[in-house]
Amino acid sequence: MSVLPEGCISEIVSRTSPKDACRACVVSRKFRKAAEYDVVWVRFLPSDYESIIARSSDSLNYSSNSKKELYLYLSENPILIDDPKKRFFLDKLNGKKCYLLSARELTIAWGDKSWYWRWVSLPESRFPEVAELNYVALFNISGKMSTSMLSPKTNYAAYLVYKLTQEAFGFDRPPLRASVGTTGGGGVYEQAVGLDLPAVQQGPQARVVLPQQQQHTSRPKQRNDGWLEIELGQFFNEGGEADELQFGLKEEESLSMKSGLIVEGIEIRPTRG
Amino acid sequence: AIQSSRFSCVGFPLAYIFLACKKKSMALKLKSSDNKIFEVEELVAVQSETIKSLVEDGCANNVIPLPNVDSKTLELVLDWCKNHVDVKLDEEKLKEYEDKFIEVDLAVLYDLLMAANYLNIKDLLNRASQKVADMLKGKKPEQIRETFNIVNDFSPEEEEEIRKENLWAFEE
Repeated sequence: MSVLPEGCISEIVSRTSPKDACRACVVSRKFRKAAEYDVVWVRFLPSDYESIIARSSDSLNYSSNSKKELYLYLSENPILIDDPKKRFFLDKLNGKKCYLLSARELTIAWGDKSWYWRWVSLPESRFPEVAELNYVALFNISGKMSTSMLSPKTNYAAYLVYKLTQEAFGFDRPPLRASVGTTGGGGVYEQAVGLDLPAVQQGPQARVVLPQQQQHTSRPKQRNDGWLEIELGQFFNEGGEADELQFGLKEEESLSMKSGLIVEGIEIRPTRG
Repeated sequence: AIQSSRFSCVGFPLAYIFLACKKKSMALKLKSSDNKIFEVEELVAVQSETIKSLVEDGCANNVIPLPNVDSKTLELVLDWCKNHVDVKLDEEKLKEYEDKFIEVDLAVLYDLLMAANYLNIKDLLNRASQKVADMLKGKKPEQIRETFNIVNDFSPEEEEEIRKENLWAFEE
């Protein structure tokens, strides 16, 4: 391969993946140079990355003009965009576009009545405000976005990013209905979920076998940033005509009281595997 | 190695002359690095952007020398071009042809890459690059060196440093 000009090696590396391109840097000097060229990393960045960055009031704090550094920066440091009601970042493995829509960007039933929902500022959130549930019987959070904001030919999932306070109750049962789907046809993905994180990790002996229809029910997971998340559902973004993606979580039937939920927002990112 | 049955060596240039006469399109003469002359139909040859601009500039009246491409590679490249004159004909057959075409030794693949790069034949360059990229994907640096016969010219300290810079790519 040492016979090939650097341009050819760059062309080859740009057809692999960001991970492969980083590994290639270790191979040899020539390989490293070829794998770090901007022509390689521009291919890994989304085509509209410049206009997305322009929507941010953050000053991008990365040291050089190299596109590789920009790529890594955007995958490790979500930037605040749109006033700042969204966070934008890249999936490090594939450069796909990801967003976290803040609670202010969502439609929350009774969210404008401070008796039911309070808007508070928390140090662990990068958004100016998050929504804290005082109590409510009719629980309904939903959001929407244009599929044109997302990467094409990608399987995405929507996740509620939240916390439960010490005094939280009503999020175990009855189960909440989660849904994800687009308005322009295609199925709507629905499932029943509970937001309570199991207090103790279940050992192999205590493994609970779920009934068949509940096999795919998602479970809350601890995130690296201290928040919890639960998958609301998945959808495949074909990427042709722009469509409206809708997602939400509700429980309005039992009229049982719920309290103690803090909502940072809903995150849209590619599924793994 | 290339199976000689796929390209009947003697009949090959003759076929082009025949084609050229039949279609009454201009024939171009290309000279490989080892001084072999290939007579090809213009429609076939101008898939190379390099040759196309020579033709457009009126520099293609005599023999066009291609000092960077040997006859073995040029023969392959021209076969590719011949099969891509009218790509809309049969997509499935074309894909079949391309898949078979690109199943070659690494050394031949490199020759094709360099020829496609020099002659500026986009679809061949893309296909050959993709083939190598697929061989590269998911491999560790040691495996890449072994597969492509690359000498590690970093000192152990340098290698360790670059590995650290790109640490995330080595995590499972």
